[in-house]
Amino acid sequence: MKGQDSGPDIGDREALLEGRGLAKWFGGLAALNQVDVEVYRGELVGIVGPNGSGKTTLFNCLTGMESVSAGRVFFKGIDVTHRKPHQVAHMGLSRTFQSIRVYRKLSVLENMLLSRQWGGERLADWLRSSDRGTAERARDILEFLTLDGQWGEPAGSLSWGQQRLLEIGMVLMSDPELVLLDEATSGVSPGLVEVITERILTLNHLEGKTILLIEHNIDVVEDLCDRVVVLDYGEKLAEGTVDSVFSNPAVIEAYFGRHDAEF
Amino acid sequence: MTPVGQTDTIRVTGRQWGFFILVAGLAMLPLIEALTDGNGFINNSTLFSMTQMLMLVTLASNWNFISGLTGYVDFGHTAFFGLGAYSTGILMTKSGWPFYPTLAVGALVAALAAVLIGRVTMHLKGPYFSIAMLGTFAALREIVRVVRPLTGGGPGFSLPPYLNRPLFYYLALAQAVLVVALYRWLKGTEFGSMMLGIREDESGAEMRGINTTLIKITAFTLAAASTGLVGGMWAYQNTFIDPDIVFLDSRTIEMALAAVIGGLGTIAGPVLGAGLLYWMRDLVWASFLQWHLFIEGVILIAVMLVMPKGIMGLFGNRSGLTVRGVRAAWRKR
Repeated sequence: MKGQDSGPDIGDREALLEGRGLAKWFGGLAALNQVDVEVYRGELVGIVGPNGSGKTTLFNCLTGMESVSAGRVFFKGIDVTHRKPHQVAHMGLSRTFQSIRVYRKLSVLENMLLSRQWGGERLADWLRSSDRGTAERARDILEFLTLDGQWGEPAGSLSWGQQRLLEIGMVLMSDPELVLLDEATSGVSPGLVEVITERILTLNHLEGKTILLIEHNIDVVEDLCDRVVVLDYGEKLAEGTVDSVFSNPAVIEAYFGRHDAEF
Repeated sequence: MTPVGQTDTIRVTGRQWGFFILVAGLAMLPLIEALTDGNGFINNSTLFSMTQMLMLVTLASNWNFISGLTGYVDFGHTAFFGLGAYSTGILMTKSGWPFYPTLAVGALVAALAAVLIGRVTMHLKGPYFSIAMLGTFAALREIVRVVRPLTGGGPGFSLPPYLNRPLFYYLALAQAVLVVALYRWLKGTEFGSMMLGIREDESGAEMRGINTTLIKITAFTLAAASTGLVGGMWAYQNTFIDPDIVFLDSRTIEMALAAVIGGLGTIAGPVLGAGLLYWMRDLVWASFLQWHLFIEGVILIAVMLVMPKGIMGLFGNRSGLTVRGVRAAWRKR
């Protein structure tokens, strides 16, 4: 690892989410190589890096969607490396997707209701019928995200930015402790980018959600993040506050030294 | 942020009264038949045909439960029908069991097979699952042909004859009513919602906390058990089974046809579809015996082209989520 900056003082607190020595190989290609990452309760952490640097692969490994080739993942101090995605989700970790993943043919409200906190795996939980409380919760969240007017429309007919908002709403339905947002503002019109960043801040500051996000838009990263992790070619290039990271020569080279790099 | 809401009670609407009237009418049918036919029921082909139709209602509902509601299109569902038919046949003929317990065993055998087969095939998605199930079905038919000491092999065997048409009619009616009511209820539960999530985006559903493997295999097993039960009933009614008439290629197609014509992923769809298919068949067979397969094919293509959501598509989108209390939550604003 080149040029590591120390982050803000985090003391001896236990990390909410911790990846240790994470590696993922696709054939001979290392998409992730010995990456350590920690997220502490209440933090808003950004992951940045050029295209193909392994950001989404890191998300997939942290959430159990892809199995790691090496390393371990801890959530709330529990080893979740080999747990299935639904088990990790049950523990309070929820994510959005870079390539938006709403239930396109279903209505906005149906999307929300299908993202609720599911009961356990007892038969009695399965056989419960959906209650009004869940619908009211969905309505409140849609209002918060300015989507309440479109509750009956098919999710696939919303604009790109509204679909990103809906995905955030779906994440919130399960009332998670940790939210992973994969490029929540990419392909979104400037007006909605503002709405989205403002809502993310509210969630972190007022609702106390811990948030880890992948973001290409450096302005958004500066506005939002307490701490930034920079990935390049699957390795952690730098970590620290926004200012310290973006003044790091290695980071500047990774971004500006290569013309194919994209923000 | 999460007030504890009450569940809205189900109101009895016109549609539900229609359901009760339909069931009551079907229950009276044998009596009406008896009035018109001095010889009782035995030579009555209408009752026989109605029994087949009710069995198709159940089969199409089962097929729709896994293919239409969960999204795993099963081209080999007749495999479970066959397991039920052979369970009843073998137990009654070789072990001298009475009829009813064999139905339970048949359902159980089909359910166990579904768990084992599902754990393998349900890792596959889309057409790969469909083709794997078609292969499973064909393989099972050949196994039955080969295991001659147990199954009688290719020539098959006869069951103790029992020509009580009203009995089979009422059994088929009872199962159809129970199964349709069960599926209708399940669709509105968390289980039904989770099935919908799997159908619309399985890995998204998994990420959102749904144990997709458990839910889809449970749905598959439930449908298979019910289909196994129909198989047992059919075998006893038919009094003879062999691999080719039990593991009939067109049986799965018939289930799919009924579900698709009626409306895939809806509860009433397979019921309407099965009814329409039998009514159509009587009409077509009576007038154009040589042409009936051709005419059915044309009608299917026409349905797919003109109304891909089937008959139920005419009544708005009914294949989505059933949630009680949603309107109330919105109106309270």
